[in-house]
Amino acid sequence: MAWPTIDRNQPAGDSGAAPLLSEAVREKIRSFFARYETKRAALLPALHIVQDALGHVPPQAMVEVAEVLDIAPAAVLDTASFYTHFWTHPKGAQVIVVCRGLTCEVLGGNAVLEELKRLLGIDEHGTSADGRYSLVTEDCLAGCDHGPCLLIGEKLHRRVRPEDVARILADPDNGRLAYERSTLFDAPSSAPGEPGAGNGTGGVHEKGSG
Amino acid sequence: MPRIIIDGRPIDCREDISVLQAALDAGGDVPHYCYHPGLSIVASCRLCLMEMKVPNPRTQEPDWSPKLLPACQTPVRDGMEVRFHSERVRENQRSCMEFFLLNHPLDCPVCDQSGECWLQDYSFKFGRAESRMIDEKCKNPKKDVGPHTLLYQDRCVMCTRCVRFTQEISGTSELCVVNRGSRCEIDAFPGKPLANPLQGNVVDLCPVGALLDKQFLFRQRVWLLTSTPSICAGCATGCAIWVDHNQGTLWRLRPRYNPGVNDWWMCDDGRFGWRYVHDGKRIAAPRVRRGSEQTTPDWAAVPQLVRFRIEEHVRRHGGATLAAVLSPFMTCEEAWLLIRVLRDKAPASTLVLGPVPTAGETRHFPVGATGNTVKFTIQAEKCPNRRGIELLLAAAGGNVLTFEQFAEQAGKGEFKGAWIVGGYPQPWVDKATAKLAAQFELLIVQDIFENDLLPGAAIVLPACAWAEREGCFVNARGLIQPFQRALNPPAGAQRDGQYLYEIAGFQGLYSGVRVRAMMAEKIPAFAQLHEPPPMPRHAH
Repeated sequence: MAWPTIDRNQPAGDSGAAPLLSEAVREKIRSFFARYETKRAALLPALHIVQDALGHVPPQAMVEVAEVLDIAPAAVLDTASFYTHFWTHPKGAQVIVVCRGLTCEVLGGNAVLEELKRLLGIDEHGTSADGRYSLVTEDCLAGCDHGPCLLIGEKLHRRVRPEDVARILADPDNGRLAYERSTLFDAPSSAPGEPGAGNGTGGVHEKGSG
Repeated sequence: MPRIIIDGRPIDCREDISVLQAALDAGGDVPHYCYHPGLSIVASCRLCLMEMKVPNPRTQEPDWSPKLLPACQTPVRDGMEVRFHSERVRENQRSCMEFFLLNHPLDCPVCDQSGECWLQDYSFKFGRAESRMIDEKCKNPKKDVGPHTLLYQDRCVMCTRCVRFTQEISGTSELCVVNRGSRCEIDAFPGKPLANPLQGNVVDLCPVGALLDKQFLFRQRVWLLTSTPSICAGCATGCAIWVDHNQGTLWRLRPRYNPGVNDWWMCDDGRFGWRYVHDGKRIAAPRVRRGSEQTTPDWAAVPQLVRFRIEEHVRRHGGATLAAVLSPFMTCEEAWLLIRVLRDKAPASTLVLGPVPTAGETRHFPVGATGNTVKFTIQAEKCPNRRGIELLLAAAGGNVLTFEQFAEQAGKGEFKGAWIVGGYPQPWVDKATAKLAAQFELLIVQDIFENDLLPGAAIVLPACAWAEREGCFVNARGLIQPFQRALNPPAGAQRDGQYLYEIAGFQGLYSGVRVRAMMAEKIPAFAQLHEPPPMPRHAH
């Protein structure tokens, strides 16, 4: 058997192309610097921002994130590959995560998964032909008291029956959270106790009181 | 000095070290992969877990803790008591070894690390004889992580020593851990390969056969190699190294523990810079010219012949017209012998330090480090012994010139005879230097490769590469570091030390130690040698 060797001397295919990250994305990453002692610490928010903007985090984006954060690209790869949340290759517009934990399994999670596979025409780790959905499974979604459950985008659907699946898929708002996403993420304030620094007004308190 | 009790034995240890280091320093064999004294501590391999006495919460009496603790991450504290010789510790070691070997291929017969592999050794000493794994082993692809290094991912135990090395010592962070849990792998970012000037150290650091040197790959079985302690001649840092050789052939260089100088590391320039030693174009026999006739004399006749030609020259032109150019690649002993020969026959003769090769600027690591944070230095001065020669020239006194002054005065015809020592791995005789050769009636050249000085030389003596020399080098910090001879010079050649010893009028075999003893009587500095302590026997 020929044993393959992965060549790391060659750059990944998409290098040399135009920058993937827009100045706005870079500026948003930089806006997190004030919250931490080091630039490196803004890596996780940066990866979230990139995945929100591009849909996934390709190698070229990792190189660009590394430039913004002043760290080695390998450090970005290290973190991005650790978390299953970050995709290094293209995914569908929404990711459906089906729980395959013990409780959901007992409550009929498998039938839900099969129904999803049938309706989307894909297997696990696949992306539907229209690019709307990618399907994966996780060990537990921490919704054992409401199983079987599945996660679309950021919204947890609970007590899902196979007959509910078609309706959930058709709902255009199936991935939207019922409550607002934390303003800590969308409008990072300056470090606490530093009035006037960063973007000033302190988004958390403002939104909280409103 | 804290005193701790390891397996019932009281041990006095250094301050601020881990229990693991204390146990290793005391000669104990505690298995470990992720711990390295030069790197940060992650306590991830779990192989060095120990039992420690802690106060029982009920009675406040010290009792063996119910949990095993990592010895590498537990600092020594006066009065603490730990034990490794217990069934629980042994069971943990057995289980860890079984875990490390779950997916490890049984390819020792074709693995380069075999024979110096800590999986083999620990498996034998601390592991189980059999694996209970019945599933098919996971086979990961090999990775070409850099121009000099291959990663056999399936052999990796994920100690992350290599990753920490690139982060903490070289400061270049090319390596990382990708994925998570049982899917963990070492990787380099595509297009950003492991290519820093210290990268060869990750191969030495790797306790198993995962990271291997492409140049050494499949060349030699390590148990055939003889390791001789030496000093790297690549630059003025003077790293302590091991010269690994087999039947007169050098196969690789490895760093040797030398705290304060190179610690556990060496650079790639030194590591891969030895190929010239086995260059077929080396000068391997003495040559003597009278008029247009050139002969190859017998070595036994050389001392007498050289002495006669120098004496003849001094009679004809006086001693003041004679100069010796000492190479910064000579050992102190050889230089001392040559100075002795010259000053004996011609006290008014001139001594010159030969050209000092430099390349670029002195580089500090981790990249960007200054002052106390510097962990490794590659000197711009690409020769091992400038300071040693300077020390000897200062001690010798009399007429001493720099090479530029010598070239200028020789150009004016002030010297009629010269003994020029080369030994540079790179070509060093430029046109201006070659022109000088015509000025001399007596030119003795001691060099390693053919060059433009040789056609005009009355006597050509083959010089040695550093691995064939014996003596001491004085490094950039002024430390006098002795080293042994690893190889014999090419067939037909004799060691510089040997023929200089004989020319100087001594009989028998040249020995660096004996010559150094004579030097130390005249120059007390040479009684103070810097010899690094050995690594603890079971440390790696």
